[in-house]
Amino acid sequence: MSTIFRVTRRKFLRDMGVGTGALVLGCSIGPEKLFAVDRDKLKNFLHYGASLQAFVAINPLNGHITIFAHRAEMGQGIKSSLAAVLADELEADWERVTVHQPDADAVTFGVPYPFPIPGGGPDVVKGEDAQFTDSSRSMAAYYMPMRLFGAGIRLVLLRAAAKKFGVTDLGELKAEQQKVWHKKNSVEYHHLLLEAAHEAKTPPTTDEVKAALKTPDQWRYIGKAMPFVDAQDMVTGKAVYGADVKVGHRGMLTAMVVRCPVANGALKSFDATDALAVPGVRFVEAVLPPNFLGGGVTGGVGANFVPHAGVAVIADNTWAAWQGRRKLKVEWDLSGAAANNSGYDSDAFRNELEDSTSRPGRPVRKKGDVDFSGLTPVEAGYYVPHLAQTPMEPPAAVAVYENDRWEIWSPTQGPELAQHYIGLAMLETNPVEWLVWGATEVKDGPGELNELRPFERENQRIFNKSMAAMLGIDQDALFKRRDELKARVRDKIKVHVTLLGGGFGRKSNPDYAMEAAFLARLHPGVPIRVQWTREDDIKFSFYNAVSRQYFKAGLDANGRPTSLLQRSAFSSFFATLFPPPNPLLPAAVNDIYAKARAAFHNGGEYLYGSAIELGQGLQDNPYAIDNMQIENSPTPNHIRCGWMRSVANIYHAFGLCSFADEMAVAAGRDSKDYLLDLIGKGRMFDEAYLNSQAVPAYDNNLFPVNRRMEPFEKKDREITPGYPPDTRRLRAVTERVAQESGWDQKKGTMPKGRGLGIAAHRSFLSYVALVFDVSLSEKNELTVNEVWAALDCGQVINPDRVKAQMEGGILYGMSLAMLGEITVKNGAVVQNNFDDYPVLRISQAPKKINIYYVAPSPEVVADYPGTPGEGVPPTGVGEPPTAAVAPALANAIVAAGGPRIREIPFRKKVVVLG
Amino acid sequence: MSVFQLHVNGRMHTVNVDGNMPLLWVLRDVLGLNGTKFGCGVAQCGACTVHLNGKAVRSCVTDVGVAALAEITTIEGLSSDGSHPCQKAWVELGVPQCGFCQPGQIMSAAALLAHNPHPNDDQIDNAMRGNICRCGTYPRIREAIHKVSEGSTS
Repeated sequence: MSTIFRVTRRKFLRDMGVGTGALVLGCSIGPEKLFAVDRDKLKNFLHYGASLQAFVAINPLNGHITIFAHRAEMGQGIKSSLAAVLADELEADWERVTVHQPDADAVTFGVPYPFPIPGGGPDVVKGEDAQFTDSSRSMAAYYMPMRLFGAGIRLVLLRAAAKKFGVTDLGELKAEQQKVWHKKNSVEYHHLLLEAAHEAKTPPTTDEVKAALKTPDQWRYIGKAMPFVDAQDMVTGKAVYGADVKVGHRGMLTAMVVRCPVANGALKSFDATDALAVPGVRFVEAVLPPNFLGGGVTGGVGANFVPHAGVAVIADNTWAAWQGRRKLKVEWDLSGAAANNSGYDSDAFRNELEDSTSRPGRPVRKKGDVDFSGLTPVEAGYYVPHLAQTPMEPPAAVAVYENDRWEIWSPTQGPELAQHYIGLAMLETNPVEWLVWGATEVKDGPGELNELRPFERENQRIFNKSMAAMLGIDQDALFKRRDELKARVRDKIKVHVTLLGGGFGRKSNPDYAMEAAFLARLHPGVPIRVQWTREDDIKFSFYNAVSRQYFKAGLDANGRPTSLLQRSAFSSFFATLFPPPNPLLPAAVNDIYAKARAAFHNGGEYLYGSAIELGQGLQDNPYAIDNMQIENSPTPNHIRCGWMRSVANIYHAFGLCSFADEMAVAAGRDSKDYLLDLIGKGRMFDEAYLNSQAVPAYDNNLFPVNRRMEPFEKKDREITPGYPPDTRRLRAVTERVAQESGWDQKKGTMPKGRGLGIAAHRSFLSYVALVFDVSLSEKNELTVNEVWAALDCGQVINPDRVKAQMEGGILYGMSLAMLGEITVKNGAVVQNNFDDYPVLRISQAPKKINIYYVAPSPEVVADYPGTPGEGVPPTGVGEPPTAAVAPALANAIVAAGGPRIREIPFRKKVVVLG
Repeated sequence: MSVFQLHVNGRMHTVNVDGNMPLLWVLRDVLGLNGTKFGCGVAQCGACTVHLNGKAVRSCVTDVGVAALAEITTIEGLSSDGSHPCQKAWVELGVPQCGFCQPGQIMSAAALLAHNPHPNDDQIDNAMRGNICRCGTYPRIREAIHKVSEGSTS
């Protein structure tokens, strides 16, 4: 077994020779117990007890500090950034810090909210999702907890040192780079561990830890050029990704899988004779157990992340497995639930979407009364096809099954999610039973930890009740059953997280690791590595939803819209997470799936989108238009849909920001001036404002819209800052990008065939405005000359990684806008590899990308009561730049004299040179 | 199965493999040199780039038999300690994001610079367009190559 990856946190500590007594900062506090489901205890712990244990270990022998990076590293630098935040508050010497990517561990790392922190912190990320690295929320959610962990440990060490030096006033002491100084004497942190263990028995209160936080002028790493811990390994080839894991040395086998091209298809038969004749091929076998109920039968196209039916060729090495796979003959059964998908044709589906958006849909926001009479109409529809994420590293995972336990190594964005779903598929044969996991106690009253809005509580109550009734048990028994199930899954499934060779949402879905787990069970003791090819990756993604956006505006005599109708049709990824109604299933099963979906993040009902998707650029339409009707058009789903960098913002921003420009053109106005006019002077979209426009359930990237107060020690204290959509911030980034790009000066001076386009979009709580400068030759060849980007992501924690994410997010957006298209025929994806699913190359990248950070204005800061002197809390950067690219580029092409492009990919309308 | 003698990073290896096995899989699965990455298998993405006699090639489509006649250099052999000017520039400028494509990018860049120590942007694009990066590190790759170029005295 590999020594690198066999290391668990506890074993690691043992190996370091750290005895229990000295483990105060490691795990002797007993995080498992403290983070157990007893919420009252948990709450007290969070309020009073520096939860210092899970994230840091100090080696008592040499003082080296290990920081556990619970979020997955996939190129965004979070493994370095969060660790550096903690190290800063801890006064750790970065030269002596090691950052370790821990296993999936919902119990240890499940830092739930609300987190009573200065200025507050987000409250909705449930403990179980703490490691789920998605939605650009690592920094937003964990910046302040990391600071508190660091400051809290420093405070305990200071108290320990005070005893050692015989002083009572901590003010006489100074912690600096892992030493505590008293006058001219100092003691190293690691020589204080026994005393600290004693101190930690009466840990500091949260208020004391708050008071111990550094002030911005004392920061060493936060906001500065911070280290990137994996860079050296990456450039020397030593970095370990999913496919690089070596377990059991030469005993490991490699599997390649032939999968049913149609969602929900089942295996009919296979002929392995030729495959087995390939030298090195050892086994050929079905991935899913016979009559497995989890995937196809339940009718969910990827429900519970169960992989497509497949046959694995298992061999001594990758090449042999691949050769064997080419020789394998398989027949699929496309009856049953697959019959609903085997006719899926993306070209025909486009017509269905157009039809759906030609009729009234379900209203999801309403302001005033839309009336087009007497106004000049502007009308347009936009189309975005399915898109595949294609991270550079194709999916790969290793699993070993031994003693009725699984050990899995996987590049994964969702470590606990992988553990959870793989566990269910391995341990529980009845998929309906899997829903037990979603049972959640609902309590009313102020200060309740997992606070849900009233209708969300109601949905959860309905689900709990129905689930208990279905199982014929009472609700207490249901919760008990859930706890037992969770304990069993966490006991049986261990997930080690490798570096991710890119994720972009693809690696949120653990289907490939589940394949490895199924195959490993067939070969106890033998490590099985599942290696996907690029073709597998492109044909079996969880695709970004296909979408059509329809707009109609009525312009008044000044060319300004007074009425806007917007319809959004998209295949919701919730139809992939939860099986849609399926006539082959008993009514009660369909019913419980529907209720489970409704209770899960307000997931809506089949044919309509979830609150998450509606919240991504649709219900938060930022324009100041007196009358708006925004609708969600019913859309079925026949293929696995999931998350791709920027998700629903991709199609919503493409439509909305293009349409703004179309209105400007129709009004004969300058695009930038018109956009600023549409945004208006700006305002906060607080909960009351959204509620007043028939948006009762705005999903704010799972963060609260409004700040929240909670009674604490007889007075109200703020526990969450709130992150309302704020068009003042959108306006500010728009003004800045216009200024930096020289928009006004360049107006009317651009040569023929060259133009500027602008777009501004809020997503993942951050604000981005882009200006694209493009040329269009007489042969209709497109060149992107330069890009300007303005970003407001609140406080900037790691400036260089923020810039890198902006550059990368813009290029990712260019790639999907100019080149991206997945099409489907007969239920199967047509594209194969980078030759027919092209992605952006260096020769297509602009020579210059200019990034500007826009600090929120003092008026804005005053409305976001964060920690004094620290501005607005940090928000996401990974995804926000991506969505604004397609419309900025499309608008620039029009400005350059080109066609108005209303569909992705643009290569269908202009020539994109290689 | 056939026996081949491979000269990799200055060391001679004897391997007994399927004669059609591409060099990539010999490096990864047989010799355990995991720095060379699999990204597409059809010479579209460049993640598997290695040097054959100093020339950048895609190891996923290079027969082991062809490679057996050449000096093979992988990312592990580009320098013993990460001191190749490209590796240093890549770290200094914070080029890597996920890092998966970077061994291939660096091997392509090193081959370009060995042949043309002072490439302009177009020459860089032309030499590097076979290497895909999905994280979007292209601007920094250009910058890093220029940085190495400026430090070059030849």
